[in-house]
Formats: sequence, structure tokens, C-alpha cells
Amino acid sequence: MAIISPFSYPEEIKDKFVATPGLKFKDGSTVSSAEIWDFMTKEAPKRFPYAFDAGANNMGRFSDDVHFLSGIKRGYLTLTLKDRVMKQHAAGTPTVLVQGGQAMDAYYAAGGIPVRPGLVMQWARNMEEGLSLRQSETLGLNILESGRRKISIDACNQIAAHAAIDNKVVPIDLIAPFLCLRCSDMSFLVETHRNRVHDIPRYLVDYPVDHENKPWAAEYIAAELRELIDKIAALSGRKITDEVLFDEIKLENRGRRIATEIADLWWGAENPPTNSTDFFGIAFLANDFVGDPVASVDLLEQSKKEIEERIQNNIKGFGVPDHAKRLFICGSCVGPNAHHAQTAGAVFVGRDDSWSCISVPVEEEGDPYLNIAKSMLAYPYEQRTEKRAEWTADMVKRSRADGVIFMYQWGCNYQSGVARMISDIVKQRAGVVTTFVEVGELGRSEATEQSTNRVEAFIEMV
Amino acid sequence: MSVKTLDVIRKRLEERPDELRRARENGLKVVGWVGYNVPEEIIHALGFIPVRIAVGGDDRLVEIGARYASSKTCVFIREIVGAFAENKDPYIQQTDILAFDATCLQNYRAAEVIEYFFKKDVVVLAVPRNFHLDEAKEYFAHEANEFTRLLEERAGAPLDSARLAESVALYNDIRKTLKSIYTFQASKNNVISWEEVYDLIQAGELLDKREYLSLLTQTLDELKERQHYPVIASDDGDSRIFLSGSLIPRGDRKLISIIKSVGGRIVGDDLWSGILPHLDLDIKEISPAGVALGYLNRTPHAALPYLDLESDRRLKKLQECLSQFKAQGVIYHTLRYCDPFTFKAKETKNVLAKSGIPLLEIHTEYAGSDYEAMKTRVEAFVEMIKIKSEIAEEQSVLVDA
Repeated sequence: MAIISPFSYPEEIKDKFVATPGLKFKDGSTVSSAEIWDFMTKEAPKRFPYAFDAGANNMGRFSDDVHFLSGIKRGYLTLTLKDRVMKQHAAGTPTVLVQGGQAMDAYYAAGGIPVRPGLVMQWARNMEEGLSLRQSETLGLNILESGRRKISIDACNQIAAHAAIDNKVVPIDLIAPFLCLRCSDMSFLVETHRNRVHDIPRYLVDYPVDHENKPWAAEYIAAELRELIDKIAALSGRKITDEVLFDEIKLENRGRRIATEIADLWWGAENPPTNSTDFFGIAFLANDFVGDPVASVDLLEQSKKEIEERIQNNIKGFGVPDHAKRLFICGSCVGPNAHHAQTAGAVFVGRDDSWSCISVPVEEEGDPYLNIAKSMLAYPYEQRTEKRAEWTADMVKRSRADGVIFMYQWGCNYQSGVARMISDIVKQRAGVVTTFVEVGELGRSEATEQSTNRVEAFIEMV
Repeated sequence: MSVKTLDVIRKRLEERPDELRRARENGLKVVGWVGYNVPEEIIHALGFIPVRIAVGGDDRLVEIGARYASSKTCVFIREIVGAFAENKDPYIQQTDILAFDATCLQNYRAAEVIEYFFKKDVVVLAVPRNFHLDEAKEYFAHEANEFTRLLEERAGAPLDSARLAESVALYNDIRKTLKSIYTFQASKNNVISWEEVYDLIQAGELLDKREYLSLLTQTLDELKERQHYPVIASDDGDSRIFLSGSLIPRGDRKLISIIKSVGGRIVGDDLWSGILPHLDLDIKEISPAGVALGYLNRTPHAALPYLDLESDRRLKKLQECLSQFKAQGVIYHTLRYCDPFTFKAKETKNVLAKSGIPLLEIHTEYAGSDYEAMKTRVEAFVEMIKIKSEIAEEQSVLVDA
């Protein structure tokens, strides 16, 4: 059996990389590019060998485009999440479980670190170091199975994050997600914590469905946001004023604006300036902020410059096939394997889920609570499904996509329920081919043939 | 155990689809409602004919529904979607408008899918998850007004307060009568079974409400005549089962028939397709918001999360019912992908274990393939309860001696 060498960054790019700016963090600290280089080439391969597994089935595999230097820094933010969060937590910063696809302004402003289920699992897996990809996945699956045994086999993979909290693999101080955003499992999973010994405080920010032209929906959310912020602030000890909130909103708005500009630049380019992994990884920073909005916005700015330079010089991202078929990805929590798709001749040009959140800035004047509530209610992804599909069709046209893949994971009721409906509407409105795929192997890199075959067959058809 | 009025009700149910067809020919409109917090009195007071769309037990329709709403949607919702796709159900055929609530988010998705694929006129009532907060009640009051406005548009007339008061009074009488009848099924030497009462409750989802009240009153009179003082207590050899969990709609009698076939006696339920929606509904104000809040303030549906175990009214109601109906064990029915109930199964089991009530979870679909497996488990559970009660009886005899 052939042994694949681990992924590594070539020494010849080191000088160019260390000449670039480092990253600034919200606590005022900085890290130089030389330090990032050392971490990504010496420390991280030893501590997190799974992340450097070069197998094509490794969903979290780094980008092959080593000359896109922002991509290396993106990997740094991912792999240092554990250290950064643990350090801040030890210094008294509360950690808060949230939902994916929601704005984080309120949480950071109140002095907390919001972590969505995907990040909780990444953090949980990193708590044990030196693991190979298989060992790391086995660790994750064991946590997942413990959750299923306690709750239900019908739950989606998000249950793993709740089990990691339950099992005290990671320290979470407050469980307080927005509800109904993209997921129906979350509310029931939060509820299960009431029956646990640890008794972690809990709060739900209800997000009403079918909220179009209903001002009372925003007022309801705004009242809940006040309660949420009070709860986080009580843990962080931070005094919250409107000014504090607006400072955070302005910072995160900047991130959202840059990510939107990057997307526009990328879509307008003759050749895709980055591969799918880098494009999604960078844009996602404006939705998730990976534990540090200051560092994320800093990296978004650096990425934008690099992408502009590439476009000016008509440089195509490494790994993007010639005449690549452009695919737009729909659905939450899961997406196709970018490396497989590139091998099959495709590149990903957009994603409805995270970009829904990025596309809506928060008003920077007035009542900050109401402003956040209104922006949440404006997320295209959370509109009535027909309206959401129309926005998706518009995004498909803007990104010049040739096809759309709607993916959902096993156990997901809320997105799977409208997968066909959205696929049908987008097909009609955007005039492109669409498909929807259920993924059962989320969290492991073995037995992925079912979904890989379907995605590859779809790309071939496109 | 034959109660004559029940035969009349069965006959009227057979005639009901034709009756609805004729009513529609005469200009009346039928509103099919799906959910748990749909304030039916508002629909009724606006002059619509309300019918509850709740069908189950047909695996073929589940399969059809999955083509539109995915196989990860709960079995009940898949069957509803499948029934709309097929359009052979006589009540679905006679529906002019659909009213869905978003208590369960899968229900909300079904509304969207049915509206889009089958071009139905759908009205949605959003329901707050933080239902216990004052802000949520204020929000829901707005939603109730909006829901009413949308129905008024379709009715072509505003809601009349006097008519709403009449509807509320009528529905209150129905609920009160049902509650009285329900006591009889759980009694010693009962002349009506839980299964018959369950069918009777579900008949009310379809029949004309005034006629239904009249039939319920006749049933109650008949019961009172045959059993003057119903006393809730065990008959010899009873294994008194309480049914909880996911709803069991019309057409789905798999678990119920299994329990009966192995000698179990169902003496109560807290199903949303059973007696529970009719309990504790207190309408304090005659207005759309007043009626809707009456619904929201009932025992909450499991789809509405509640974060404190000790003060959970759903669990308290379950315990209250178990005590009232002298149940010896709970069969907790969960449908595939019905997360609101499935995720709470183990917790409910742990809570009841503290008071010595055993719980058996039956996780199932509408396929017949698990019939024997279910039967084995239910039979063992019923046997265990019988043995347990025999031992308790022997011990009490020894103590007395």
C-alpha cells in the first residue's frame, strides 16, 4: 500500500511568507509571520498530525495552494483555536455554545467567546494531541456515539458537540444559541442539558419563523438579546453599554463588508484566483471569526489584497482545474469534499449558508439590540423557503455557477425537508442543473464513496 | 361494551366527506388545520368548517411524502405530505384553505412544501419557542391577530366578537364533556374502552362541532345510565398502561392494537392526538389573542423547549395523569425523526423511575416490518407490570395478615 507523505509547506516560500504582516489579536497581542511559520511547519505537525494528512478524503485538509499566503494564516487560526480559547477561558472569559450561521456580535461584545458545534468538535478533538487522522476521527466518533447513546440515534451530528460539553472534554460556561436558524435539532439538544449533573446555565434566543413584515418579531428578539447579553456579561464581568455594542458591530461589519468585496472580486475574475478551500476558508471568517474578530478581520484585509494582486496578474488558484465547472453549494453543516471536486473538474464558487449571514450588515446607529435583531431577520437563508430559493438563484447567477449541490447531513430534518424544493426553484430561476445529496459519513474520511460518487457524477453531468 | 351512540358516530363519519362536498357546493369553505396551537375557535367563528388533517399508518404515503420532504422528515409529516401528493384522502380533497402552526418546525416545513408543490392556500401561525416569557406571549398575541387577519381576508368578512364568544362556549362544552367521558374509560368495570374514547376524540376533528357536542352529550348520558359512579381503579389482572409520546393519528393503530393483543389495558394518554389538547384550556378573553394565548398556556407541546426540568409543566402533567388514572406503566411512543419526543425519552424514563413507574420506549415507523419486534417488547413489558402488581398484591396480603 502506498504511503502518502504528510502535507508540509515548502521551505522556498518561507522568506516570502515571513515578509508579510503578522496578525493582531483582540487582547492587543500580535504574532509575527515568522512565528506563524514556525508554528505551521514545526509545532503544529507534531501536535496535530491529523491536520497534515494529505489523503484526499481528509475533509479538513489544507489548501495545496501554498503560494496563497493568507491560506497559511487561515490554517494557523484554525489550529490555534484551542490554545487561544483555553488561555482566555483561564483568564475568565466565558465560552458560549451558539448555533452555526448566526451573527456573533452580541456574544463578543458581552465579553464571551461564541463557539458553534463544529468548532466545539474541532476543539474537543484537539484536546488530545499527536493524533493521526484516523485516531482523531475515532476520538470524534466516540464522543458522537456517547451523545447518541444518551439522547437518540435520530439526532444529527451536532449531538457530538453537546456530548463533548457533557463529558467535560471542553469547558463551556453558557449554552445560549439562537434557535430555529437553519436547525431544528438545536433546541431539543440544548434542552437535554437540563438533565445533567454539570448544570451549565442555558438560554435560548428564539428566532421566529415566517417573520416577514412583522415588526413585533424584531422586538421579541431584541428583548431576548438584552437578556442574553446580561447573562454573558454577568459571567465576563464586562460593563455593557450601547457604545461597547456598536464598537463590536462596527468591527464585525468591517469583516462582513470585506468578505462581500472578496466574493465580488472573486466572481468577477477571469480565472478563479484561489481554489475552493481557500475561498471558503477566508470568506467564512466573516461569519465565524474563529474566536477572535480582530484577528479574523485583519486576515480578511490581508486576503483581499492578495486576491486583488492575483486577479491583476490573472493568476489562477493552484488546484483549480482548467475550464473548471463552477458549483454553488447549498445547505448547512456539510459540503462536498473540495479536493475530490477539483480532481473531478470543479471549483466551488459560493455557499448560501455562511454567506447569508455575511451579506447582512448591522445598522451602526440607533438601538443596537433592535439593529442586531433586524439584521438577523434579514438573513436570506432564514426567509420563507421560496424567498430564500430566489435569493439563492440570484447568488448562483452572480457567481456564474454552472450547477448547484444541496447537501444535508443524516439526521437533519429542517434543511433536508426543503432540499428538493430549493433545488427545484433554483433550477427554474437560475437555469442551472441542481442536485441534493444526503451525507452520512460526516466526521470521518472512510466509506465516503456514496457521496463522492454522487458529487463526481453530478460534476461529470454538468 | 357496546355504547350505541358510538355506532351513530361511526356512521356519521362515513357520511361526513359527502356532507363537506355538499357544504362547499353551497358556498362554505373548509379549513384543514395541522398542528398543536391552531386556535380552532377563530376558524369556526369566521364561518369556516374546521377539520384536522392528521393521518398516519400508511407506509406507502410516507414513501411518497419523502420524495418531496426527504426521508429525514418525521414519519407523520411525510405521510401528510404524501397524502397531499396523492390527493385521495376525502378530507384533503375537500380542503379549501390550510392552517398550519409552527409549534413543530417540521410542521412549518410541511406547510411550505405543500404550498409550493401542491399549490394549496396556506396560512401559518408562528409559535414562540420561549413560550413562557412575557415577551413571547406578547409576540404570540400579534401572531394571533395576524393569523386572524389572513383568515378574515379569505372569509371576506371580519371576525365577529359575539360569534367568537359562541364558538368558545361551544368548544368549552365539548372539552368539558370529553373530559367527563374520559373518566369512564379508566374506571373499574368500564363500559367504554380507552380505544373507543380515543376514536371518539378523533371523530371530533372531522364532524360538525354542534352535532359533535350533541353526540358527546348522548354518549355521556348513555355512560351515566350504565355506570352511575365510575371509580378509577384496577380490575383484577389489569395491567394499566398509559400512552405517551409522539402523536398517533387516525389510520395508525399499530401500537394500540399490539398493546391490546398482549393483554394490556390502556387507561390514559397525554398524546396530542388524544385527550391532552382538550385539558387545561382556559380562555380568559374573547379576542383572537385571548383565544390563542389560552392555547399556548396549556400543557406545552414537547416541540417547545423548556430548560428547567424541575418546573417542566409537561412532565408535571404526565405525572398528574399517571396518578389520576392509576397507571402502572408508560409506553412511550416515538416516531422516527420525531425529535421533540424522541430526544426526551430517556429523560422521561429517568424522571418516572423516581416514582417507580416503568417506561418502555417504542421507536417506530408506519411500516409493518417491526410489528413482531414491537409485540415482543410490549408483551414483555405488560407481563412485567402484571407480575409486579401481583407481587405488590401478595405483599399487601402478607402485611394485612
